[in-house]
Amino acid sequence: MTTPGMSLSIAKLTANNVRKDLRLEWRSRDVLNSMLFFAGLVVIIFSFTVEPTAEESRRIAGGLIWIAFLFSTTMALNQSWARELRNGVLDAYRVAPAPPEAMFLGKCLANFLFVLMLECLMAPLFVIFYNLSAVGPAWQLVIIFLLGTWALVVNGTFFAVMSIRTRSRELMLPLLLLPVSIPAVVSMVTATTLVLSGEASPAAQIKLLAVYCVVYTTACLLLFETVLNAE
Amino acid sequence: MNKNLFFACSVIVAGLLGYATYLALKVAPTEATMGDVQRIFYCHVPAAMTGFTMFFVNFLASVVYLWKRSARADALAVSAAEVGVVFCTVVLITGPIWARYAWGKWWVWDMRLTTTLVLWLLYLSYLVMRRSSEAGSTAVMAAALAVFAFLDVPIVYMANRWFRTNHPQPMIGTSSLDPQMAHVLYINMLAFFLFGCLIYWFRYGLERTAQKVAAIHVRRAGVGTTAMMALPAMFFLQFQPPPPHHVDPHVYLYGAYFAAWTIYFLYLLLLSNRLFKLKKEEAELH
Repeated sequence: MTTPGMSLSIAKLTANNVRKDLRLEWRSRDVLNSMLFFAGLVVIIFSFTVEPTAEESRRIAGGLIWIAFLFSTTMALNQSWARELRNGVLDAYRVAPAPPEAMFLGKCLANFLFVLMLECLMAPLFVIFYNLSAVGPAWQLVIIFLLGTWALVVNGTFFAVMSIRTRSRELMLPLLLLPVSIPAVVSMVTATTLVLSGEASPAAQIKLLAVYCVVYTTACLLLFETVLNAE
Repeated sequence: MNKNLFFACSVIVAGLLGYATYLALKVAPTEATMGDVQRIFYCHVPAAMTGFTMFFVNFLASVVYLWKRSARADALAVSAAEVGVVFCTVVLITGPIWARYAWGKWWVWDMRLTTTLVLWLLYLSYLVMRRSSEAGSTAVMAAALAVFAFLDVPIVYMANRWFRTNHPQPMIGTSSLDPQMAHVLYINMLAFFLFGCLIYWFRYGLERTAQKVAAIHVRRAGVGTTAMMALPAMFFLQFQPPPPHHVDPHVYLYGAYFAAWTIYFLYLLLLSNRLFKLKKEEAELH
């Protein structure tokens, strides 16, 4: 770290990691394609099973949207580390002098971008299929979706690196991620429903989501190195 | 594990448990509105307290493990999580039995109920993870997960405030609890807490033996699967025509005690079975 050429800051390393992940995804499109198709299927199957009116759909859409995103996020997260495991990147990273936090943050940001892309593409589909229109201020949805997605992705990325190293691999991730995510899911679903129905201000839920994001981002950054090196 | 000391402690705890249960079922005054069903409270609350204490112990032991990397701390952590899950299961089963009589419903999405359920799920995922991970990395990953689970508890509690609450407020230490009931409750809490500690001790000794012979013990999934298949029976119980108040409240009371003791007993049997197998394996190795 003493030679000037070697001293890359965490920010720069993170940016490099994000760039690498985006380039890989751009070339293969493994994650986005499967996520999009899966989320689309969930939306369509839900609309078959419930067939709601505009009034009802305001009440239930918050839950449906987040279930679709939660499950497709799980798919994306498994994919993202599986790729690294196949090519021995994790081992390479363990012996590299770069701080592992940079790798974690890079992976998180890349996954965050993928899921945001998915959400932007899926939102019109939800609006069309469920006749959605927000009664409350719709700009609040942007905050809720940014925070909610980060809450899922930060823990998901952490648990995915744990689960790919277990015997059951991909199966393990939802088992670890879903229980810990329950309070975040409750907050984002309640907040989304409140905005859609315009009944009350979702301020309390947004605050709790923000607290959740801060607490778990810190915990992930502190424990990532330990988990990466667990043998 | 010091065998004589353990035996002496078991005898004392068994006596205390018997006395406490006798007090709860026979001596404590009958509650005015709910009648005898309220006596479920004397095994529900102590189980909750013991279970939550075990989860806290699990967190402490996990932090110590991350810091010191001692196998002892890991054994303390896994034993605490497992015993905690058993006591939490008792809470989640005796609670609905009481609720069916008092509220007319087995389950409502209430603040305390949801928090306990999420807590139970969190520690169950911890145990599942331990079973599925590779031998070398289990302890580190489990300890990290334990920290995550513990951080979740206050957030879960905050998030669940948005559910309306029906659950009776905690009355311990307040003047609204009848002094005689309080006396019985405290004795029950002490008895069940010591019972929990005793099982914990036993489980810890087992884990240490397991670590020493490096035995891999996988719980039979068949038992769990069979139990799961019985669950849809709940639907029939739910839609049975006679409203709950026409049923003798003692059915609920003894049902709850029976359920609680079945769980404790099954867990002890499971542990003895594991101990037996380990001993056999140890003997073969020598």
